[in-house]
Amino acid sequence: MLFNSYPFIFLFLPVALAGYFLSSRLGSLAPAIWLALASLAFYSVSNGQFVALLVGSIAFNYAIGWLLIAWPLSPGPRYAALTAGVAGDLAVLGYFKYAGFFAANLNALFSTGLAINVLLPVGISFYTFTQIAFLVDAYRGNVARYALPHYALFVTYFPHLIAGPILHHRDMIPQFERAEARRPDPHLILCGLIIFGIGLFKKTCLADGIQPLVSLAFGPNTPTFDQAWLGALAYTFQLYFDFSGYSDMAIGISLMFGIFLPLNFNSPYKATSIIDFWRRWHMTLSQFLRDYLYIPLGGNRRGPALRYVNLGITMVLGGLWHGAAWTFVIWGALHGTYLCVNHAWNRFGPTVAPRFARAADVAGFILTFLAVVVAWVFFRADNLPAAIDVLSRMADPSRIAFGRLEIAQAVFIAIHAAIAWFGPNTQAVMGYDHANRKVGEGLSGWKMRPRFIYATAVVLAFGILGIRQHSEFIYFRF
Amino acid sequence: MGNAGKYLPRFLGAVALVILSAVALNYVVDPLQLFRPARVFAAMYSSDSRLQGAGLIRSQQFDAVFMGTSLALHYRQSDIDRHLGVRSLKLTMTGSNSREQGFVLAAALERRPGRVIWQMDDWIFRDAPEIDADRYLPADLYRRNARGIASYLFGGAMARESLWILARSIPPLRPLVARLTNGVMFTFSIPDVDDINVLRPDFDVPGFYNAGRAMAAFARLTDPARSRHLTEGYDYDAMVRNFERDAADLIAGNPDVKFDIFFTPYSILQFVAMRDASPATLKIVYDFSAYAAQRLLQFPNVTLHDFREGSTITAT
Repeated sequence: MLFNSYPFIFLFLPVALAGYFLSSRLGSLAPAIWLALASLAFYSVSNGQFVALLVGSIAFNYAIGWLLIAWPLSPGPRYAALTAGVAGDLAVLGYFKYAGFFAANLNALFSTGLAINVLLPVGISFYTFTQIAFLVDAYRGNVARYALPHYALFVTYFPHLIAGPILHHRDMIPQFERAEARRPDPHLILCGLIIFGIGLFKKTCLADGIQPLVSLAFGPNTPTFDQAWLGALAYTFQLYFDFSGYSDMAIGISLMFGIFLPLNFNSPYKATSIIDFWRRWHMTLSQFLRDYLYIPLGGNRRGPALRYVNLGITMVLGGLWHGAAWTFVIWGALHGTYLCVNHAWNRFGPTVAPRFARAADVAGFILTFLAVVVAWVFFRADNLPAAIDVLSRMADPSRIAFGRLEIAQAVFIAIHAAIAWFGPNTQAVMGYDHANRKVGEGLSGWKMRPRFIYATAVVLAFGILGIRQHSEFIYFRF
Repeated sequence: MGNAGKYLPRFLGAVALVILSAVALNYVVDPLQLFRPARVFAAMYSSDSRLQGAGLIRSQQFDAVFMGTSLALHYRQSDIDRHLGVRSLKLTMTGSNSREQGFVLAAALERRPGRVIWQMDDWIFRDAPEIDADRYLPADLYRRNARGIASYLFGGAMARESLWILARSIPPLRPLVARLTNGVMFTFSIPDVDDINVLRPDFDVPGFYNAGRAMAAFARLTDPARSRHLTEGYDYDAMVRNFERDAADLIAGNPDVKFDIFFTPYSILQFVAMRDASPATLKIVYDFSAYAAQRLLQFPNVTLHDFREGSTITAT
């Protein structure tokens, strides 16, 4: 089921909310059970054949976690249990996500004739990562014993199940256990609706609106220099508004249930360096990769050379997490290289004099944005030759169309760019403070309050009016 | 927002008000002319022919239907009317498959036209998923069921077009709005029904269709990075199934309608490229083509015109 659909907005969400608050009269676990069941129903609408896999994954990880938390195992068996758990998760993820890729590469190398076509269960990358984090923390002794309904809800919780944000059990499960979250709070419902509306607007009006221009570069026709740039830029903004819109919607929905989700975006295209970009883009994935891959690999603790190697490995695996294709590997490797260059520059490059700081920021902003756009070409292209073809068109100014149509398209893209570069982000507009569980506090004393309410109502209405059939989120396929 | 209990109903009320205003605007302006032919507001037509077709079937008077793909760009309704002595409705769709064409034709045949002119080739039968899985064609709008009408009336993009058509109907604004209507922001940019899905009058036909361009296209097609696209989706059995479902069943179900079906004269280079990329695929194309021709000739209400025989077209 899609957030940007009438059945979700007008049927599923109101029923899930009503059931959640009404079931709190039946005991403290009833709302969690209701919400977990509602989440499974949400998942089963379009992924019915994979519900059993999801439930099996929850049971498997909960059992391993229980062994690690509740059983007095000696270090050897504890490590063996963790290894079995993580290996089991990765084996399932590997089969569904990478078996076809592996077979295709074997076939290309040795002409084996091997072909594996496996349907990818939606959300498997996200729920696998959240559970691996749970197992690792359980092994480290950082996990309290959770009730099964709360754990199941943590994994299946429908606002994040399909495309994140990647949740952390220490953040979420205590919230599910809080009694206050089980009572309807008009303030949180209103703020949640507004944040949901902003996200829906980003998705249906901005991302879906600019989507047709992406085919200028990635469609069947050979693009000119300007068309290749227009298409690459269109994809750059489509991806941002699509994914950050989804994340806003997830945060807004969750807020209506009284649950604060972590932020996933912080105006990434305003970044003045690649390091800064990765602190702002898909923040929960960056945090996961840092905590459960980069740091265990050694991080920066084993000298600068190994730090760059670790960065490279982390980003290549991060790329591969997005999809089983060489385009994603190259995308990850490219960002790994960017990060290494950025760290090396910080270490060995000249110090900028304060009077040039502003100019350096602008130069850093432009360079970062261009580097990100180039990398997105690999992320979007169907294959490596297609990506290289688009990049070669972007580097060949001898063929330019720039007619009336291209000018109109450039203006359209510029509007999206202006919103991404100069507009406030959702958390700034709403005063969303995930760490302190606060939202909308700054708006209380605002004299323009009714006007703000009506303006955001228009945004939500436009978001609903912008709903189209068959408009999935890009990150659903990861 | 300390007093959220007070603001929540106002917020929801404002959302409902904006949505209902858009619905009212779409109903009154009716850009697709789904409820009534344009009278108060100037008729404008969308360049999205899959969408526009649903409105044309309701709003236009016709006794013949013309169906096909972008290869039909060269024919205007008025040309067909003049040459064949009919009142035609052009419902061709760029890149359309047989399922889309069959579905739209079936909707048009409910208006009882006597004749169908159908531009056909093997390509349209390759990949033709069920119509409700087709993300480009608003099937429910053709069916005129509640979901289709609701998606039309509740469409924000349609409300934007309605507002644009409304502005265009205000005389002082008309020149400005006409200048800004370029098909990027507003898809209802065509003022004359005869101009739907045709080449622009200023299109340079000799500059676009010539030997140099054909050879350049051939080089692009045979580029190893692209040549596999030539062979994608060709499965003889699936093509036959699609043909039976989308063409044969429709023709058999409308015995009173005369079907003029013509096979398009692709350049010989297309087949040379396919032979070089995959001889097996070329064989599928030949076999299917033979099957389709023989099958079509079994219907008494079909006349077949095979322009692929015109070597002056295909080999130049």
